Amino acid sequence: MTPIKTLLVIFSPLFFLLVACRGASARPRPLATSSSSGIIRLSIIPTFGSKNILIADSSFQTGDSHNVQIDVLKFYVSHIQFLKNGTVVLEEQKSFHLIDAAIKASFDIVIPNKHAISFDAVRFNLGIDSTTSVSGAMGGDLDPTKGMYWTWQSGYVNFKCEGKSNLCKARNNEFQFHLGGYRQPYYCLQTLTLPVHNPNEITLQFNAETFLSHSDVGTHHHVMSPNAEAVRLSAIVANSFSMVKSSTAK
Amino acid sequence: MKTKIILCVALCIFAVAFRSADGERFEAPAHWQKPVYDFRKNPLTSNTIALGRALFYDPILSRNNTISCASCHSQYSAFTHGDHALSHGIDDRIGTRNAPALMNLAWQRSFMRDGAINHLDMQALAPISNPAEMDENITHVVAKLQATKTYPKLFYKAFGDSVISGAHTLKAIAQFMLTLVSSNAKYDSVMRKQAVFSQQERKGYLLFQKHCSACHTEPLFTNHAFMNNGLPVDTTLRDMGRFSVTMNADDSLKFSVPTLRNIEFSYPYMHDGRFKRLSDVLHHYTAGVVQSSTLAKELKKPIVLTSNEKVDIIAFLLTLTDRTFLFSPAFSFPQNMIEEAAKD
Ligand code: HEC
Ligand code: HEC
Repeated sequence: MTPIKTLLVIFSPLFFLLVACRGASARPRPLATSSSSGIIRLSIIPTFGSKNILIADSSFQTGDSHNVQIDVLKFYVSHIQFLKNGTVVLEEQKSFHLIDAAIKASFDIVIPNKHAISFDAVRFNLGIDSTTSVSGAMGGDLDPTKGMYWTWQSGYVNFKCEGKSNLCKARNNEFQFHLGGYRQPYYCLQTLTLPVHNPNEITLQFNAETFLSHSDVGTHHHVMSPNAEAVRLSAIVANSFSMVKSSTAK
Repeated sequence: MKTKIILCVALCIFAVAFRSADGERFEAPAHWQKPVYDFRKNPLTSNTIALGRALFYDPILSRNNTISCASCHSQYSAFTHGDHALSHGIDDRIGTRNAPALMNLAWQRSFMRDGAINHLDMQALAPISNPAEMDENITHVVAKLQATKTYPKLFYKAFGDSVISGAHTLKAIAQFMLTLVSSNAKYDSVMRKQAVFSQQERKGYLLFQKHCSACHTEPLFTNHAFMNNGLPVDTTLRDMGRFSVTMNADDSLKFSVPTLRNIEFSYPYMHDGRFKRLSDVLHHYTAGVVQSSTLAKELKKPIVLTSNEKVDIIAFLLTLTDRTFLFSPAFSFPQNMIEEAAKD
């Protein structure tokens, strides 16, 4: 064969291979495999006390005097890792999840665990880390159409909660928390590590009642930009997460 | 084994060739520093640049389809809001700042006069949602674009996906803005030894290097820092500049140092467009600098210039005018493209 022909013989199949590969990598890979042992199911359930929050119907009463209505509750869970004896043994790739109390499907996260690695704790970030926050436009749950990006100053809102409380001394008893900030000294990212008792069924809850009572919604009802108050409240948000031992909250 | 290696090498060569055939390369002018924009995350292609250009000129990005990016950033005035101190947007609402010139953005780390925006991709979100500018939101913009006949096709050409996302919309606009490179002024020809300064321009250049280059550093004519150049505070606007982003008192009254390229066409000047002429600017630097705790150290001692020297500096500043940039058909309203897209 002439050199040109040899090249052609090598290249033409390669060309198809290349095109085929490109096509394949463009398709999203399925997260879960058919065998249930190869995956970890992590559920994050927004609750108000012992009741689940679903935005369509979210009026709650607490004690005898606190009436609360939650209209928006959205937050980012990112960089999910699993630990054994304090060491990271597994981490999710491209790990960014927007949990939205109005979208039930967003409560469930499925993470591949092909080698059935065992672990005793889960760790994740509440919010979006500063490196990701300065990396330009991103799609999926990070797409700016998700309404969690601060357009006038850059950066993600880590946690959004809006609604009404009769304790709230603001106009129409409304509260509005947009917590975030990717720059020091107002870096709001929180990292949570929680022990896992049953690796087959990990269910966490975010308890809005805990958040609203600890944050004192009566006097602190509006936070809309990165500041010291946002940092303080972000820590309270983090403390409002807990592991659900039996999966009754579901 | 050997064949495998050959195959691998061949594959690599082929893959690289394939890339550059389809991707457009960003050409940084010789002897300029490396751009800070990460092109690996948003590789330029001619289709994406064309899409970004269509979006930049399209008022569909505003609430009532009246205002485009180009309304406030027009090419003939170096992509500023020509002759407007403060720009006005939708329903003639007036903003609080002067629209800066857009060029050489690939070298810029943060955007806006106070650096509030951390990435060029995210810049377009600010005017789209500002109630005094386009008063829209990106979610609605994406829905409007999706509902047109032409944009799903243009997005498919650009990204291989006709389902429009916020990220793709922003990346396309960023690509067009990245191509706005100005590096063909007389100054550049002189530096490339293809032209010479007049005697007056040369005198002006030396004075400029002495008094101005610390902040307006060559070749981009900015050091990309935030500085207080001693402007008295406009009491109607009370713009504290960088302070409003960092809340740090040391940043009070600091503004991003703008490029001086195409300065002849980007008037009026400063963050609030307070000066109409370059002679006003030089008058400020020699006679108007206000002392304050955050004033740049370069300006603590007054700059002394005779009136001839001021004229010399201005003569030099005019050598920063780049007509190939100001009149490049690649940056103008994409008439042809819109007609073509409407056809197929
Ligand atoms: C109503 C007028 C108006 C419109 C419309 C507008 N801009 Fe601007 N632009 C401005 C003003 C004013 C600033 C400076 C604001 C500041 O510093 O706070 C600016 C700043 C910028 C900057 C930062 C430049 C720098 O050097 O920091 C970029 C980039 C930009 N605009 C791009 C766009 C794009 C893209 C669009 C369309 C999506 C757009 N603009 C629409 C007025 C406008
Ligand atoms: C200490 C840093 C510093 C020095 C030195 C300095 N400038 Fe500036 N210059 C700035 C800053 C900061 C701004 C923007 C201020 C604002 O937006 O309000 C600016 C703005 C300008 C503008 C307006 C640009 C525009 O697009 O609005 C011109 C023109 C200018 N300078 C020319 C000069 C000249 C000529 C000299 C030397 C005589 C000089 N500057 C020295 C920091 C400096």
